[in-house]
Amino acid sequence: MKDRTNSGWLFVAPAVVLLSIVGLIPLITVINYSFFEIFILDQRFWIGLEWYGDIIRSDRFWSSFARSAVFSTLVLVIQIPLGVAIALCIPKGKFWIGLVLALVALPLLVPWNMIPLLWLGLLNPETGILGQIMATFGWSIDWKLSAAQTWAVILAMDTWHWTSLVVLLCYSGLTTIPTSYYQAADIDGAGPWQVFRHIQLPKLQHVLLMAVLLRFMDSFMIYTEAFPINAGGPSGATMFLAVDLGEDIKAFNYGPSAARSVIYFLIVLTVAWLFTKAQSVLDTDREAKTS
Amino acid sequence: MTLARALPILKIALLTLFIVFAILPLVQMTMLSFVVTLSTDDSQIGDLTLANYANIWSDPNLRSAFVNSIAYMLINICITVPVAIPAAYGFSRMSFVGDKQLFFAFIAFRITPPVVLTLPIFQLFSALGVVNSVFGIALAHCLFNLPISIWILQGFISAIPKEVDETAFLDGYSKPRFIWTFLLPQIVPGIAVTAFFCFMFSWVEVVFARILTTTNGKPISMAINALFGFQTDIGLVMAVTVASMIPGAVLLFLMRNHLSRGFRVGTV
Repeated sequence: MKDRTNSGWLFVAPAVVLLSIVGLIPLITVINYSFFEIFILDQRFWIGLEWYGDIIRSDRFWSSFARSAVFSTLVLVIQIPLGVAIALCIPKGKFWIGLVLALVALPLLVPWNMIPLLWLGLLNPETGILGQIMATFGWSIDWKLSAAQTWAVILAMDTWHWTSLVVLLCYSGLTTIPTSYYQAADIDGAGPWQVFRHIQLPKLQHVLLMAVLLRFMDSFMIYTEAFPINAGGPSGATMFLAVDLGEDIKAFNYGPSAARSVIYFLIVLTVAWLFTKAQSVLDTDREAKTS
Repeated sequence: MTLARALPILKIALLTLFIVFAILPLVQMTMLSFVVTLSTDDSQIGDLTLANYANIWSDPNLRSAFVNSIAYMLINICITVPVAIPAAYGFSRMSFVGDKQLFFAFIAFRITPPVVLTLPIFQLFSALGVVNSVFGIALAHCLFNLPISIWILQGFISAIPKEVDETAFLDGYSKPRFIWTFLLPQIVPGIAVTAFFCFMFSWVEVVFARILTTTNGKPISMAINALFGFQTDIGLVMAVTVASMIPGAVLLFLMRNHLSRGFRVGTV
């Protein structure tokens, strides 16, 4: 059991101070700006909730929201099962584990602004490896004009970039399972599916929840990688939430971009809240089982 | 029964496919980095060459970009880890008023997209005088690195039996001294994993890196951006990218056994 003592605050105080500087103060500034019409930063007029009204009423916001939601759902549906599957496939033996993990994690080390470039290069029908292979089959990817294919490229790119993180998290979850569990399952004659369902999956719950949270939020607010593929096109089909915000900031629309930031932060809070709820449900389930 | 026999083969096949998928763009990148892509007096486009790598070394901007990236990385780890260790200890061993809410706030900051906070962070950091320097990036990256570090470290600390703490306290150790002499040696793998994750999220980040370094202190990712222009030497761009991945690859190789032994993810 944990000690009940408020001296715990002393230990977390440095972290609170640091996050106040880099997180809380900027956040309060953004909230403040979102209520003003700002031409230059020294000259501003209080306009209350007008920016919020504009954004909430605009079709553009809701269609970006819907696109981001669909994109994140697809990302989770593809990357989480794939990540779990790959983690389960990693062979035993120190050498192979090290080699496989090191190879699998390489995409995580590429600078983010290079990722769209690498993928566009790869898909180039004349010079790219994948483009050439597809050209010999007579296929071509048209990421400029076809919305579905732009989506496919961005999804493939995101899957390439981030599934490794899911694999790392899941694999670390799997290694916390004692071998005696597997031996017991073997004696009971459990098949691979039953082992997965009743031993591996329950042990993966916590890391999976973390993987889902990180993947959901990062894909929901995808910016650096998605924009260079087709600048939000064709005709706005890949304008995601963060791309809209990026455009506002580039145009120096301080007020609207601040209001947009606050709305996005409220989304973040909601997701974080759902996450902690899910975690406490898992914890009470576990306590109920062990007691 | 046939399924059970086919399973190992299926596993290897799936894994091989995934690894091919994971390294295919990197293979093309590496190949391009050894090719002349901008013809000069004594070389033709398409020739094999090491000139791209030599050009990294001879370009002072690129050289300083590597120094900047490594500098802000190290500063970030030196800020994040010492701040995260006591916090992780607090969350894992003590329950205090508002601990759950505070943990929730930390998670919320971790998943806040950097683009939301770019403008005020730029203003605040200008006021503090840390823009255009590696220190600014190092500080800004604490926004996502600190929460994740606390989270990972807390899992490692919670795995140590509480009796260890209690024995030390009976022997008259204060809590800070206990953390220093007993806890730290035990969570070295945890610190290594934490530092690796800080590196991984920070090394490749571009949103803060872009707004905080308009004139000076540019990291590698921004130095790559600066290479694009009227005549872009794609071979050089690829060579810089390959070179930028080398420190990470080395770390990954050194860390492989810690990562494979698994790290724990804590809860409050």
